[in-house]
Amino acid sequence: MKRKFSPEAIVLVSLLVLFIIITPRVLSGYSMNVVNIALMFAIVAYGISVMLGMGGQLTFAAVSFMGGGAYFMANMCTDRLGINMPTLPALLLTPVVFAGIAFVIGLLLLKLSGTYFTFSTIALVQVTYAFYNNYKPLFGGADGISGIPTLNLFGYKFTSYNTWFYVLIFLVIIVAVIVELIRDSQLGRSLAAIRDNETAALTMGINVYMTKVIAFTIAGALAAFGGALWCMHGRFVGSDMFNYLNAAQFIIMAMLGGVNNTVGIFVGALLVKVLPEILRSLQSYMQLIWGFFIILLMVFMPTGLAGLYEQIKANIKHKLQKKREGAGQ
Amino acid sequence: MDFRLFCTLALNGIAMGVVYAMLAMGLILLIRAVGVMNFAQGDLLMFGAYVTSSLILDFELPLYLMIPVSFICFVVIGLVFMFTIYWPLRKASYPAATIIATMGASIILKELATLIWGALPRSLPPIITDANGKPGILYIGGIPLQWQYVLTIIVGAILIFLIHMLFEKLYVGKMMQAACQDSYAANLMGVPAIATISATYIIVVCLASVGGFMIAPIYMVRNTLGTLQLRAFAGVVIGGFGNIKGAIIGSLIVGLVEVFSTVFLSGYKDVTVFMLIILFLLIRPQGLFGGKIADKA
Repeated sequence: MKRKFSPEAIVLVSLLVLFIIITPRVLSGYSMNVVNIALMFAIVAYGISVMLGMGGQLTFAAVSFMGGGAYFMANMCTDRLGINMPTLPALLLTPVVFAGIAFVIGLLLLKLSGTYFTFSTIALVQVTYAFYNNYKPLFGGADGISGIPTLNLFGYKFTSYNTWFYVLIFLVIIVAVIVELIRDSQLGRSLAAIRDNETAALTMGINVYMTKVIAFTIAGALAAFGGALWCMHGRFVGSDMFNYLNAAQFIIMAMLGGVNNTVGIFVGALLVKVLPEILRSLQSYMQLIWGFFIILLMVFMPTGLAGLYEQIKANIKHKLQKKREGAGQ
Repeated sequence: MDFRLFCTLALNGIAMGVVYAMLAMGLILLIRAVGVMNFAQGDLLMFGAYVTSSLILDFELPLYLMIPVSFICFVVIGLVFMFTIYWPLRKASYPAATIIATMGASIILKELATLIWGALPRSLPPIITDANGKPGILYIGGIPLQWQYVLTIIVGAILIFLIHMLFEKLYVGKMMQAACQDSYAANLMGVPAIATISATYIIVVCLASVGGFMIAPIYMVRNTLGTLQLRAFAGVVIGGFGNIKGAIIGSLIVGLVEVFSTVFLSGYKDVTVFMLIILFLLIRPQGLFGGKIADKA
């Protein structure tokens, strides 16, 4: 998507416009809820994309920050602690606060590298899950926190899932654009260098440690933002969402669409949430098929659906003897 | 805390530690052999528990028949696991791909178990029961100890010892290690890499499954047993990657810390265990015994 008006970009934008126009007219109620959740998960998955796709750092910590954002929002807006903020400032405050928290945690955990770092994030998920599930004063314990007010945008309350859809798709597009800008920025290129060869990146004068910490901070802020939206959308926050199994699901979501591809992440999130609902008749086999699908994808196309698309495109181009575009990766 | 409670808890902790150690040992064998972190390790344990309990409950095989039959099953599972999850991915271009594939395997194992044996937990009677069918209890100096825990420790310790001997002392084990360290050179020397890797996978599945069988009467056979692998990860981290001795001691520490923290802070036992890992990682990332092989996975 380097060139401003490549046919590809036009197709993508028109598909997106169609998606925005058609979806809320066709769907409502439960199915709209599923799509909305997929959109919020996409925001979290973009965070993983920055860490894993750009920087090659496998992190499970997304659900920790997502939970943090959700509980922060819940505590700020429900008068539980005697604080009753309007929803919009609280929503905007969440990523800022959790960027700070993620920065501090990142400073500690990213002293470790590779697998050690991955393990430390698993440990972080376990610790935060135990707190979310048990500590009543802040997190409501196993009952969770209910009665969270919905988003109030200058007096307009978003009560139906269909109106939420427009907010969420708007935010997803903004996040996607930010991620795409990061990819082309110095930070994105440093991350790519670290992913491909950490030693070489170090020799080139890249501050490997700080670059990773900043990526971790971005991922944390995005996850917290997604979590805050999630708790307002569902009007409830419970600890079940933030366990290890869901952490693994987010990584699969990111890998499925193509972990280093902005459009791919969006498609991946939609697939992971929506496909099981469409194939509901296969419900009992769904997860099984899912597992096989993941393995097959990893065997044949480790760069996800986006990679598959790139390869098909390259093949077609090759056959048509056209000039090959350099956007391979 | 009185002495009897202390002994009971210590026994439980060591028994769980031994099970974690069996998982952790498998993890390290795989890291050494193929450089893959296996996120389906706990699900292999879960599947083993289901297979063995099914042989006992559904096929009503006596123990002496059940052991060889289940061993054959483990060999098949190990081979299938290796040829689907590892073999096609051994030259994967994206390093995270192999890890994600094991996560897919984890989903598959869990769902297969649910499809075959149903979603309800199954209860497996302990190996030694008293006259009323209750779990058998061993009295040592007036202290009651559950036989199942004692047996878990004995069986686990024997298996771990045997496999340690195999890799450290026997010629075959040295051959396998050589093949792991440099499969190309080993192939030139006439050691078939595919055979040694298969053998490693079979050993790993056996270790995990026997662990599953031993703790099945304690935890019930259920498809959430897979989460035990996180504690095995903890043991591996505390012991240092690539170091079997360290991983065993690390797993025992995890088991003991977990059991004793259950008494003092029931809901927060995960916090103590996993804070311990984070602390360990930050203060001593090379683990208790500083692995010779640095981050390879």
